[in-house]
Amino acid sequence: MTYDLELLLSDQPAALERVLQTARYRGFKVRQLQMRQRGSGLQLSMQVSGPQPINILTTQLHKLYDLASLNIEQTLPQTA
Amino acid sequence: MTGAQAILTSLIEQGADRVFGYPGGAIMPLYDALLDSPVTHYLCRHEQGAAFAAIGYARATNKVGVCIATSGPGATNLLTSLADAKLDSVPLVVITGQVARAAMGSDAFQEVDVLGLSLSICKHSMQVMEPGDLQPMLNRAFAIAREGRPGPVLVDIPKDIQLGFVPEHSPRPCNTASLPQASHNDIEQANRLLAQSQRPVVYIGGGVGMASAVPQLRDFLCRTQLPHVSTLKGLGSADYHHPLYLGMLGMHGLAAANLAVQQSDLLLIIGARLDDRVTGKLDEFAPEAKIIHVDIDPAEIHKRRHANVSLLGDLQHILPALECTSSKSAWSAQIEQLKQQKGNRYEDHVKGKEIDAPSLLRRLSDLSADDAIVCCDVGQHQMWVAQHMQFSHPTRHLSSGGLGTMGFGLPAAIGAQVAEPDKQVVAVCGDGSFMMNVQELGTLRRYQMPVKIVILDNQRLGMVKQWQELFHNERYSETDLSDNPPFSQLAAAFGIASAEIADAGEVEQALTTLLEHPGPYLLHVRLNHQANVWPIVPPNTANHEMWEQAR
Ligand SMILES: Cc1ncc(C[n+]2csc(CCOP(=O)(O)OP(=O)(O)O)c2C)c(N)n1
Repeated sequence: MTYDLELLLSDQPAALERVLQTARYRGFKVRQLQMRQRGSGLQLSMQVSGPQPINILTTQLHKLYDLASLNIEQTLPQTA
Repeated sequence: MTGAQAILTSLIEQGADRVFGYPGGAIMPLYDALLDSPVTHYLCRHEQGAAFAAIGYARATNKVGVCIATSGPGATNLLTSLADAKLDSVPLVVITGQVARAAMGSDAFQEVDVLGLSLSICKHSMQVMEPGDLQPMLNRAFAIAREGRPGPVLVDIPKDIQLGFVPEHSPRPCNTASLPQASHNDIEQANRLLAQSQRPVVYIGGGVGMASAVPQLRDFLCRTQLPHVSTLKGLGSADYHHPLYLGMLGMHGLAAANLAVQQSDLLLIIGARLDDRVTGKLDEFAPEAKIIHVDIDPAEIHKRRHANVSLLGDLQHILPALECTSSKSAWSAQIEQLKQQKGNRYEDHVKGKEIDAPSLLRRLSDLSADDAIVCCDVGQHQMWVAQHMQFSHPTRHLSSGGLGTMGFGLPAAIGAQVAEPDKQVVAVCGDGSFMMNVQELGTLRRYQMPVKIVILDNQRLGMVKQWQELFHNERYSETDLSDNPPFSQLAAAFGIASAEIADAGEVEQALTTLLEHPGPYLLHVRLNHQANVWPIVPPNTANHEMWEQAR
């Protein structure tokens, strides 16, 4: 399955690395990524895909101290 | 105030008056300030040892352990211990020196990207880039290490920040993460499942001890009289005298514990994460059981197994609200019978016989103080400790669970002895593991800590040898350690008293001498290398299909 995630991060060193590392380690591939400054934070739009339920990733992302908010925008079936 | 002084002030404010570490270039300002500080520093002989000592301190007290290292090799030497603390949820604050800010990013001498290295093995990591952030960041590090599911936090501090002026900071309670709270509804649902079940088993994990919820757990078990089992990290949580306590479950769990869990129709999992060493083949783990999962970490719920009811929150609040309103007397009777049938049997220590490690450890357990702290390394001896020794509290059994790190035992014992100077501390070591942090004998000597070391020497990397024997057609590859050094002579070189035994008839006297000796002591126990740990659940096998003895 493919998932679109919207994340708001605090602008800390390694914040982006943490998100990407968590996705990789929990078995998700990053398909698309866009990041921009928003206020004092960073807004990240990320499309990931993986065989596991998305809560395996999102519950781990929620543990990151740099994460201010996380929304799952939509769920698409995997395209080839 | 200099940055270095500010670090020490923060440590004192956080109650961290005893720390472990090893100096070097980028952390020299902090070591200089230590000379004028009330913080007591224990010099270990390797940064890995220092961090394991901090882990031992933390696990023996449920307080935050602190260790300090320099940049570069000092920091990289810490990594194994950080991973150990992460996987066993141990609260640590680890301070590393970094090269000065102006040199960062230039491949300076002893510069490594420790922040980057630490990301996946720490609960959180920070790098101080502004002097004004130093104390707030340290305070936050302590808060993060403690709150919710504990874990290690790294704070990397450039040398120029340690040397320079740091503005006065009045400590304010920092905003900590809001912890989940189980709803009344969920608790009612859990209680309903408990009442409806016919064959419930309580599965106790390390979370109980870390939440300081041992009294609440024991009260719950006393009220409900439900059969219960424990993970490696949960040992000591339940009262081992309880007639329905079955001991450890999992790969080297006791047969009764595994069989009870496999037959259960409801598992109440408390502060545990269904580790693969516990579940065996996951699809066949407790196949008929519904699951109530109680934990502080939402990421553990549904991770390995769907939970019918999940209760997130502080065990101290949840456990008193749980109840079981129906009697399970038939099931309890069955469990007591199973426990009787599958109970451990021990040998008398008779002259002329080889030493049986499980029997020796059981005797050691009986002879040592009820609140003795037992630390161990990793391998067969670790499993024997878990199977055959009894612990009055989870802070009395320090074993590297999630990472399974050889070399854990001796430095962890040093940390535990620093935390509890008046308690008996025993390190049960494998001959292979002991050599991995053998340099810490120097630490014992320096501080004359009365740690008692028992080396169970089978002249093998025993656990690996056991797998080679059972699952690799007896092809013994690189597991022979018959060229071990004479451990007593090694102890003597560090001024540590010792004895060596090989005959079962010597066990009783040797254990008494060990425990009564006023200072550090090393007992070298020679074992037959053929002994194995039973039961064992072979890889990819359901727990009820364990092998209970050699085939
Ligand atoms: C640092 C580290 N390296 C390798 C291993 C793999 N390993 C697990 S148990 C074991 C053998 C341990 O031997 P020893 O300490 O003598 O204990 P025994 O099993 O003989 O009781 C090894 C090599 C490990 N757990 N940790």
